[in-house]
Amino acid sequence: MKHDYRLGIDAGGTFTDFIIADREGRVRLFKSPSTPEDGTKAIRAGLAQIADALGKPAAEIVANADLCINGTTVALNALIERQGVKVGLLCSAGHEDSLEIRLGHKEDGYRYDPEYPPAHMLVPRHLRRPIGGRILSDGREREPLDEAAIREALGYFRDQGVEAVAISFLWSVTNPDHEARALALVRELLPEVFVCAGSEVYPQVREYTRTSTTVVNAYLSPVMQRYVSRIDALFEELGARHPVQYFQSNGGLAQGKMMSERAVTAINSGPASAPQAGLHVARPFGIDNVITVDMGGTSFDITLTRGGQTNFSKDVDFLRYRIGVPMIQVETLGAGGGSIAHLNDQGMLQVGPRSAGATPGPVCYGKGGQEPTVTDANLVLGYLNPDAVLGGTVCLDREAAYQAIYDKVAKPLGISVERAAFGISTLVNLNMVNGIRRVSVEQGYDPRDFALIGAGGAAGMHLVRLADEMGIRQVLVPKVASGLCAFGQIISNVQYEKLSSLPLPLDEDEAHRDVLNERLASLRDQGVEQLRQDGFERNEIDCHYRLEIRYLGQIHECTVELQSDRLDAQGWQDLKAAFHDRHEALYSYSEPHSAIELVNLECSVVGWVAPPQMPELAPRGLDLEQARKGQRDMLFDESGDWTLAPVYDGEKLDPDLCIRGPAVIEEPTTNIVIPPGWRASLTRAATYLLTPGEGE
Amino acid sequence: MSTIDPITLAVVRGALETAQREMTLTLEKTGRSSVFNLAHDYSNALFDHLPEMILQGQDIPIHLGSLIPAMKAVAGFYGEDIAEGDVIYHNDPAYKGSHIIDCCMYKPVFFRGELVFWTVCKGHLTDIGGPVPAGYNPDAKEIYAEGLRIPPVKLWEKGKRREDVINLLLTNMRARESQEGDLNAQYGACRVGERHLLALLERYGVDTVKAAIAELKAMADRQMRSLIRQVPDGDYFGKARLEDSGHGLGDLEITAHVSVRNDEVAIHIDSPPQVPYFINSYEGNSMSGVLLGLMMFAQLPPPYNEGLYRCVSIDMGPPGTLCNATEPAPHANCTTTPMETLTDAVRLAFEQAAPDRVSASWGHASGINIAGKDPRRGDDQYVTMVLASIISGAGATRGMDGWHSRGPLCCFGALMSGDIELLEYSYPILIHRYGLVPDSGGAGERRGGSGTWLEIEPLDHVMTTVAFGEGRQYPTAGAAGARNTLIEPKLGRLVHRHGDGSETAYDHNAMLEIAPGERVININPGGGGFGDPFTRPVEEVLDDITNGLVSREGARLDYGVIVTASGELDIEATHQQRQAG
Repeated sequence: MKHDYRLGIDAGGTFTDFIIADREGRVRLFKSPSTPEDGTKAIRAGLAQIADALGKPAAEIVANADLCINGTTVALNALIERQGVKVGLLCSAGHEDSLEIRLGHKEDGYRYDPEYPPAHMLVPRHLRRPIGGRILSDGREREPLDEAAIREALGYFRDQGVEAVAISFLWSVTNPDHEARALALVRELLPEVFVCAGSEVYPQVREYTRTSTTVVNAYLSPVMQRYVSRIDALFEELGARHPVQYFQSNGGLAQGKMMSERAVTAINSGPASAPQAGLHVARPFGIDNVITVDMGGTSFDITLTRGGQTNFSKDVDFLRYRIGVPMIQVETLGAGGGSIAHLNDQGMLQVGPRSAGATPGPVCYGKGGQEPTVTDANLVLGYLNPDAVLGGTVCLDREAAYQAIYDKVAKPLGISVERAAFGISTLVNLNMVNGIRRVSVEQGYDPRDFALIGAGGAAGMHLVRLADEMGIRQVLVPKVASGLCAFGQIISNVQYEKLSSLPLPLDEDEAHRDVLNERLASLRDQGVEQLRQDGFERNEIDCHYRLEIRYLGQIHECTVELQSDRLDAQGWQDLKAAFHDRHEALYSYSEPHSAIELVNLECSVVGWVAPPQMPELAPRGLDLEQARKGQRDMLFDESGDWTLAPVYDGEKLDPDLCIRGPAVIEEPTTNIVIPPGWRASLTRAATYLLTPGEGE
Repeated sequence: MSTIDPITLAVVRGALETAQREMTLTLEKTGRSSVFNLAHDYSNALFDHLPEMILQGQDIPIHLGSLIPAMKAVAGFYGEDIAEGDVIYHNDPAYKGSHIIDCCMYKPVFFRGELVFWTVCKGHLTDIGGPVPAGYNPDAKEIYAEGLRIPPVKLWEKGKRREDVINLLLTNMRARESQEGDLNAQYGACRVGERHLLALLERYGVDTVKAAIAELKAMADRQMRSLIRQVPDGDYFGKARLEDSGHGLGDLEITAHVSVRNDEVAIHIDSPPQVPYFINSYEGNSMSGVLLGLMMFAQLPPPYNEGLYRCVSIDMGPPGTLCNATEPAPHANCTTTPMETLTDAVRLAFEQAAPDRVSASWGHASGINIAGKDPRRGDDQYVTMVLASIISGAGATRGMDGWHSRGPLCCFGALMSGDIELLEYSYPILIHRYGLVPDSGGAGERRGGSGTWLEIEPLDHVMTTVAFGEGRQYPTAGAAGARNTLIEPKLGRLVHRHGDGSETAYDHNAMLEIAPGERVININPGGGGFGDPFTRPVEEVLDDITNGLVSREGARLDYGVIVTASGELDIEATHQQRQAG
């Protein structure tokens, strides 16, 4: 930490959250209603609250703080609500429809659905203008750029009131000259308009992905630019000494200038802080393989981090838009406490993806919800305290939950309510287990090598059963689980992704190794230079490399990670062996004698930001009985036999005490269910460690 | 009420879907040919021990119907002679395969010594031997002249890879490395599926899983019966025209007779005698055509299993006819032609039976295979079907314009065209144009989706181009009163553009040699429209003009919308035109 405080601000749809940590490890959370018309109003209001609480003027706090902003909803909402700017596309003549053809595919799941609509076009056909000039796959120019066509197109864009221009030509990734010239022409002829080109935004092979990514970036960047300039101005006015940093979908921070030009890197930043948060929780245990799950009211987000490195996804459809740039791989499921249990057309029990949300919410909230949810099932199963008062206002109504499960599930299926409630819980767990499989097993990672970290208020009631299903033997739930992801943002580093395409045989030719080493070094240098400009010293900068490799003739690659930017002869052989292993793990076979080739390489450059310290819990000399607040009947299996299990108050629990399941620990914002056969202890790092086994 | 516990049922269903999905992912990620890795011209399914299909993926409809009889034929061939670790391969239509270029792998899944499942993976290889690269020989008069027939054969026996047999197969194929890579990909897919199924059996045990599967099939049966019950009892007929795409026998006609009684439906197909041209369909393939027509009526969401078809009986007509072909009928083109016409016939019969569920037809495939020697790679032979060439327009539905470029009918959106850069990287070609074709969408109150224009120039070599399919003489069939006036742009076409810029157009399946500096242009038809085009809102027609999807001439002829040379709507003339009808 360079300053006295780290201040994180997360502008959500309803509330803007503020989280502030000081040098002593005190972390405090504040909330202020969001002001979408001008985000700075909410920030001023929040700063006033913080100033009050700390007894210092806001300007003094700001001047002594690292500032991290998550503007996730700015880009994301603009995309969802189609509130981006009017974009014109300059593209290779003959290929102006690639954005609309979308590879000719209709999404799975809708094969025979006559009413499933085509994807929305961010650029209508008349604003996609064909530009003559052609580069070949090896980078040679086949036909010179038709500058007259560009001038004519820009005239049309001016008449049409276009606010941003995207440029994407075929093979600009092997020869960016045409795009560079087009960029210059746009800047000259339409100086007021935002412009970006595919070779800068996503310099990788695959024209459709690159064009789509560039278009999305053009559509959102001017919106982001307006947001960033307001925020930057506000903090400058308040006397901030360092530029404000913004959270990106790659799990890292970036400065405002970068953000204003690359809004596409921020579209899924919401859940992207989970890996950092999970690692932070696991670090005191010496663990750097974590699967972090965040379970709130409506969704369940899963991320996987291995050896401190988090899975990325790229070239994926996001809200039906193809996005190339790497984002933290987040598996998002419609599986939260509010997910609704119902019988589908075929009379089968299904949980989610529909959610009762906050309003009307679960039946047991008594706010008008009629359909039973996961939370209702948890209440019936005894995991939730029927006398609890949520958020100070909502009293849980177990009778209503019981009745709803009877009416909507148990009765039509001809089973008991207990069985139905347990079934709802089982099914939602199954969805989550499948999701965890997708980020682990299906990526070739064995979940048993990972610790499972719970974030979000609802996770603690499901985690152990998930761990049991996956064979995971370490579950960690921090006391602050419900605010863990917000916390993750202020402990994140500044991080940029540098991408390059480099088709190269991975054979015995030493010259090829040299080419790779050279390119790795050049990516590293670009990234380091950018971070130096952000004010980082060289010894605060780390680089991680990912190489995308395939068998000659394949089109999809396996990603192999690399910690060094210089391969010696042994490293070169190891790299190839690592690829074969990866292929085998993912697809059940490898071809050790087939030729392999490198396709793309990526470098993540990380500017390390020293995280705030965590407080350490001190024992107060209490014993377990003193934390015991009661007992109630709970159900832990499908037998329908109730178990009378103790309930502990987390606030009164001393560290290092061991609680054997079955039991429930109640924290102010989360509940932790310990089924029979598991035990839990609160560690001094303010995290519950749950492990299987009966003994100490 | 079933005896199986409803929770376990849902769990089993989810696990099956995961297994199938992972198989598909494996094929996509590991396939060597563009047909696999870019175009997704493959399909995966799971069968139980009977063997009945218990889950078909979101894959290609042309593959999935035929898998049902093919699996039974293959299992029947071996009888008791199936052991753990066996992997069976097959493509032959005599054992209910589709066309021989579609090679199918079947892996029995044993659990504690008992055969419980089959993981099945069918894929379109890029070559299967024979005189013409890519397996489509328009000159074949017999199936023997089309390529290598593979009756059921074990590639792995009790876990041991039979190099001799695999070598025999690959020796008969062009671009052998690519074919071998795809074969490995299929093997990977079958194994990945097996891995998931074994985990399921481990968790729940054979008896529970079998009971759950029986119930899933029973539920599908109830679902289809309840749909059929809503159709009034009666006999419904659909006739579809099959254009002469090169055999010289003139247009042919396929008739579907759909007979509904209570909750059962019988489908009887009537087609002319088989012809000495590659458009004959053996029974397995025809099954796909009929079931696709049925599903266009049923419009059911996934998942799909064989229980859906228990209430359906199908008679393909006498052996020796176009839709129930027998040896030695040539058949390479059958998965598109005549299958799409067959599907149309069934769809039209259901249009009579259930007018509220009907949608327009999708563009039929008229595409190309390409082959040659790649000068960039030491003149290695390359050969592939260019799936981008068959992406046609989708049909309009009651509520919605057809999707652009989502066909052809036989693939129903499951295919992918492939990224242009990846195609240019994989093959020595320059793709000058891949885009939508103006005025190609069928006219209707709801417009059909646009077809595609693919224009390829071979780089530094002579490229063989083999055309297949149809849809070059009649526009795609619309529905509910749709009609086309401007016909020409709605047709598929094959054009050879010569070095001097002159063009030769073909409306049949030609084989062309394209030299450097020349181009081949393949145009695919748009989808059919829905409803009277003169009732299409004027502003939507104007919007289509702005976006270049409909020309001013198209607006006038097809939609009765008059726009002046300066782009202004002539309200009065439009009113008169539309009144006159």
